[in-house]
Amino acid sequence: MNEAIFALTLRQFAGQRRSLLLVGLALIPVALAVIFRLGEHLDQQEETANFLADIIVTAILPLACLIIGTSALGSEIEDGTAVYILAKPVPRRAIIAAKFAASVLIAAAFVVPATVVSGLIGLQGVPNEGIVAGFTIAVLVGVFAYTAVFILLSVATSRALLIGLAYVFIWEGLITELFSGTRYLSIRQYCLGIADSIASVSTQDFEASLGGPEAFLLAAGVAATAVFLAVRRLESFELTETD
Amino acid sequence: MTMAPETQPNGVASPPATIEAVNVSRWYGNVVAVNDVSFSLGPGITGLLGPNGAGKSTILHMAAGFLRPSEGTVRIDGEQAWQNPEMYANVGFVPEKEAVYSFLTGYQFVLLNAKLYGLSDPDGASRRAIRAVSMEAAQDRRLGGYSKGMKQRLKIAAAIVHDPQILLLDEPFNGTDPAQRLQMMDQLRRMADEGRTIVFSSHILDEVERLARNVLVIVAGRLVASGDFRAIRRLMTDRPHTFTVQSSDDRRLAVALVADESVFGVELGDEHLTVRTSQFADFTRAAPRIARAEGITIQELLPTDESLESVFSYLVKR
Amino acid sequence: MTPVADAPAGAIYDIGYQRYEGARLGRRHAIWALYIHSLRSVFGIGRSLSSKVGPMGLAVIAFIPAIVRLGISAIVPEEIAPEEIGLFRPEGYYVMIEIVLAIFCAVVAPELVGRDQRTQTLTLYFSRALRRQDYALAKFAALTTGMLAITAIPQIMMFTGNSLAANNFFDYLQDKWTDLPAILGSAILLSCLISSISLVIAAQMPRRAYSTVGIIAAFLLTSIIAASIFEVVDQNIGRFVLLFSPFEVLEGLTLWFFDVAPDPDSQLAVANLPGAVYAIDAVLVTLLMLALLFRRYEKISP
Repeated sequence: MNEAIFALTLRQFAGQRRSLLLVGLALIPVALAVIFRLGEHLDQQEETANFLADIIVTAILPLACLIIGTSALGSEIEDGTAVYILAKPVPRRAIIAAKFAASVLIAAAFVVPATVVSGLIGLQGVPNEGIVAGFTIAVLVGVFAYTAVFILLSVATSRALLIGLAYVFIWEGLITELFSGTRYLSIRQYCLGIADSIASVSTQDFEASLGGPEAFLLAAGVAATAVFLAVRRLESFELTETD
Repeated sequence: MTMAPETQPNGVASPPATIEAVNVSRWYGNVVAVNDVSFSLGPGITGLLGPNGAGKSTILHMAAGFLRPSEGTVRIDGEQAWQNPEMYANVGFVPEKEAVYSFLTGYQFVLLNAKLYGLSDPDGASRRAIRAVSMEAAQDRRLGGYSKGMKQRLKIAAAIVHDPQILLLDEPFNGTDPAQRLQMMDQLRRMADEGRTIVFSSHILDEVERLARNVLVIVAGRLVASGDFRAIRRLMTDRPHTFTVQSSDDRRLAVALVADESVFGVELGDEHLTVRTSQFADFTRAAPRIARAEGITIQELLPTDESLESVFSYLVKR
Repeated sequence: MTPVADAPAGAIYDIGYQRYEGARLGRRHAIWALYIHSLRSVFGIGRSLSSKVGPMGLAVIAFIPAIVRLGISAIVPEEIAPEEIGLFRPEGYYVMIEIVLAIFCAVVAPELVGRDQRTQTLTLYFSRALRRQDYALAKFAALTTGMLAITAIPQIMMFTGNSLAANNFFDYLQDKWTDLPAILGSAILLSCLISSISLVIAAQMPRRAYSTVGIIAAFLLTSIIAASIFEVVDQNIGRFVLLFSPFEVLEGLTLWFFDVAPDPDSQLAVANLPGAVYAIDAVLVTLLMLALLFRRYEKISP
């Protein structure tokens, strides 16, 4: 990993007005959890687990990772500043490692507190049953897998956002719902599987279709493969002056 | 050019830095951007000259290792440029694009580059590089507020911060005012005098002519001429050359010259003669001989169109 | 010896440059030209192949249910009465493809307005016969037209398929002709609604990653937020919360146009607002968004 690129990437996100969008994404589940606690609930634990699954895992987590993952290196490629990190005697794997580490750190900094806080608010007054821990670990694993995939997309294509969106909302959102065989290729399903195996709530209707260890291995495999391919892709990356 | 080993950071003489292209072609889809180009460059300043879209930028990008040649190889110091990030330790590249990290100050930007080059004293190297382009006064302001010319100078500082033997610049004088341009040219000349290999692209003849003795002329993706531009000019014997001559008796000299077979036109002006010839070398030998025979003293004999402009427009319009 | 020509010291040669002497067509034509140009770029026409992939691919996805319906009516015309399959009911079509519509806007709107800001070409537009509001209006009209193309056209295709599959073509037309104004009316309102919201967000955030995600979030999260608030607040007030969710409004106004009652389990049914409220809400939100868009372009320094 290259420390200078790591620090630069943190700077690219910190202190920018547009990063307020990320702050907003992190605050939404917390506000929703407060609203949720105002209502009446038959089974507060199950409903909180569903809340975390529906809002954090299926929306906030992929959206935050999509912004951060595709712009960590992608925005430099798009505006042409990538030349300043590519024209350096720095191994390509060190560039990807720094971008990946910084993206994971930033995404986790937004999504993990949102998960913990909204989970604790939702479960206030009832036993935790490992729900918060389960979703926190699941979300953290999801951050690694999603950012790795989105960084790969940003070096492999100029349409990373489009493909990322289609993956999250059409593949994971529609197709995986219809054809359960595709669950092995869904990061969302990995996260739900991990959360489900850690949380000890008996009735959960977020229907994790993957077992915990299986889901974790798949997520780790996807993240590692994506990072490896991103390095390979960057090694033969062509930089032109044309748009 | 001679090497100046004492200017190198480690104080050890190294062989001259070279850029070599062997039968290099590059195409995008079915558009050929560079077509079978070969050249070999050593220390000194080389101008890459050609109209917009001729392929200059593509050649520079291949030399900088950013583009894979579709055919042939580009070598930097004998090693292939493509997929060889280690070479950047000895190469600086100044892109044409204006985009910089606008949230960094000038100093922070150069320091970032110094760190990425892995220098042991990034702070000292950054301050030296900023001083070299006279940007100390603005170094603590954000790049977002810089003018085009200031950005350009700072980009050069970032590219020379590691004291490279090879410097590649893509249209470096775009957006600079005349004073900045002169200052940058001086800077590049100094670096060339220290034995560095400097290549810059430009479509403006004046810049190339003032800075580079060696030129590569690129037209429609092909290398149409290379070398000393005066020499190139002399090679084009099938095209008329024009000289202005001042002598003790212009009228009599005109009569004598027009009889020579190398001369096919003479115009008599108020202060000098304008002579047109088809054979450059023959005429430069014949003129003094004829003058001596007539007892006339030649005070001045100048080739008028010995400028890159005429070389260039001739090459481009063919 | 060649005589010295007494040529003048300097001359300007006429090498054939011509002044433009045709008619200057003015503002209305400028708006029209920008509209056509923008409409083409909505689908990536005149751009590179990779710019076409996104919008064209999403458009194809929006057409898939209609194509499937047409296929069924071609292969087994009598087997299935069209109304028996929920998937092919016209009032459900827009709800079914709403996420595709949102992604379409999230991909296209940043290209449509963000690109001019990123490349600083707005100043070129504003120095022409165009006024600033005209620019916003042309972009809005173009995106809305693009949306109409991927909403109304598949519905009309499906209407055709259903009528061909019916036992008696003319009876079906007589029975169902009211579907046509419903298809068009709801498509126009929802296209205006979704495209105006998307453009406001895209015009605020020129960076593509941010505006794209911002637009998706605006559609997806508002419906989640509205649904959550709806669950907990007093029903007399809570029923109006749904009006803040574009997706709920889309469904509500479509059902109203088709004169169909919402699914009894849905929040729309619980809210039990008159259907016209959703249509009026869509119009008001569109106008509000256009006002915001105009304001943005009045303030922006190109």
